[in-house]
Amino acid sequence: MGMIDVRNFAKSFDGVQVHKKVSFTVNKGECLGIVGGSGVGKSVVLRSLIGLEKPDSGEIYIEGEEISKYSEEQLIPIRTKVAYVFQNGALFDSMSVYENLAYPLREHTKMSESEIAKRIHEQLSEFGLAEAESKEPAQLSGGMQKRVGLARSIIIGPEVILYDEPTAGLDPYNSLKIQEMILRLKAKGSTSIFVSHDMPSVFAVCDRIALLLDGEIKAVGRPDELREDPDGLLQKFVSGEAG
Amino acid sequence: MISLSLLEFFGGAYFLVTEVSRELWRRPFYSRLVIEQVYQIGVRSLPLVIVTGLSTGMVMALQFGLGLEKFGGKPYVPKIVSLSIVRELGPVFTSLMIAARVGAGITSEIGSMTVTQQIDAIRALGTSPIKKIVIPRVLGCLIALPLLVAIANAIGVYGGMVVAVADLGLDQQFYMQKVYQTILLTDYMSGFMKTFFFALFISITACYYGLNVKGGTKGVGTATTMSVVTSSIFIFVGDYFLTKLFWVFEQWV
Repeated sequence: MGMIDVRNFAKSFDGVQVHKKVSFTVNKGECLGIVGGSGVGKSVVLRSLIGLEKPDSGEIYIEGEEISKYSEEQLIPIRTKVAYVFQNGALFDSMSVYENLAYPLREHTKMSESEIAKRIHEQLSEFGLAEAESKEPAQLSGGMQKRVGLARSIIIGPEVILYDEPTAGLDPYNSLKIQEMILRLKAKGSTSIFVSHDMPSVFAVCDRIALLLDGEIKAVGRPDELREDPDGLLQKFVSGEAG
Repeated sequence: MISLSLLEFFGGAYFLVTEVSRELWRRPFYSRLVIEQVYQIGVRSLPLVIVTGLSTGMVMALQFGLGLEKFGGKPYVPKIVSLSIVRELGPVFTSLMIAARVGAGITSEIGSMTVTQQIDAIRALGTSPIKKIVIPRVLGCLIALPLLVAIANAIGVYGGMVVAVADLGLDQQFYMQKVYQTILLTDYMSGFMKTFFFALFISITACYYGLNVKGGTKGVGTATTMSVVTSSIFIFVGDYFLTKLFWVFEQWV
């Protein structure tokens, strides 16, 4: 059993069966990319891994713990272990960047305010956001908001990181910055799932790539394997023939 | 269609109340957030409540004074004005004002947080939106509304006195003496106790609609309107039943 195991995940919306039988495994320290056309339900699978959505049927295991039927209270320890990076950052707009980063530290650690300040300064410097500390989220560019969102998600040191389209809508410079950060976190041993349409980023950061199509995972493989298989479904998706 | 959405609302509001009652007693407690809400709901609504209370008292005194003058009933103005304000108009008008100002504010704020995934972020960061968002607003309303009503009552009676003295030619001491003679504790409490129910109607309705916004920013607008309309209806309908309930209780006491 891997760090994350999804078995026969099924979910429907308004009577439409979006996921029929989604199954995949992510091993410790690995980064799995999930790709697929718009509306196939990639983000729903990702959200279900921390209980933001509940599957109609199927099982979700995080480090061997079946969480699909957990209550909000039971999910709290899972959510400190598994971080979710939202597509738009989902920063609290009534708080400054500093307060956004302090939020998980105040909630889940016993750190003093001076320790929190030190930790936040380190994190912001690492993400190239030192000058943004006192700014409100509305004053930041899209790329900076995503970086702050990533910094906030990982500040308490989660074991697993779920990226929901982290590079979507970014210019090549910011996209590269995010990729570098993800690769740095991967080098530190984090397990992750990377949901994206941005194929260059997927190929750059993922160890394996899974194609979600027609409610199922239709193909899984290493980027080099998939590149070398011109008739494969994933290659067809990349070239625009499937999806 | 309407009955279905009503059923959905009652079911959702029931679950919200259940969750609030369960999480209210569990740690951690966010007392700073409650104080912030008491300030937002209470202190910042004060000018609106003062104007509402004052104008209600003044208009009541003027209407009754002019109406009763023909029958020589002007001396009854203090009695009628103070009783109407303390038992009904103070609590109901203040609650309606708070439903419009605070209820709309809560729904649009939470609704915007819902559509921008900030509520999901609260959950994803291992915290509870019920504890962080809903409970402070419910408690804020439960603390601030009764205080605002107490202020509105006092201002309303004072407004009535200003008109009674200036326009109707009544003596100030006579007016106050009649007010003290008329208003019993049961009168005051029958109006005052309603405010706790009104506070729940406003805050739970506002939070429910905010948390269940669908359809982006357009949905926030719709939810805000629904929140104000629904809580206003609850205040009016609830007022009838609460008046009846407290009336039975007064007879029993």
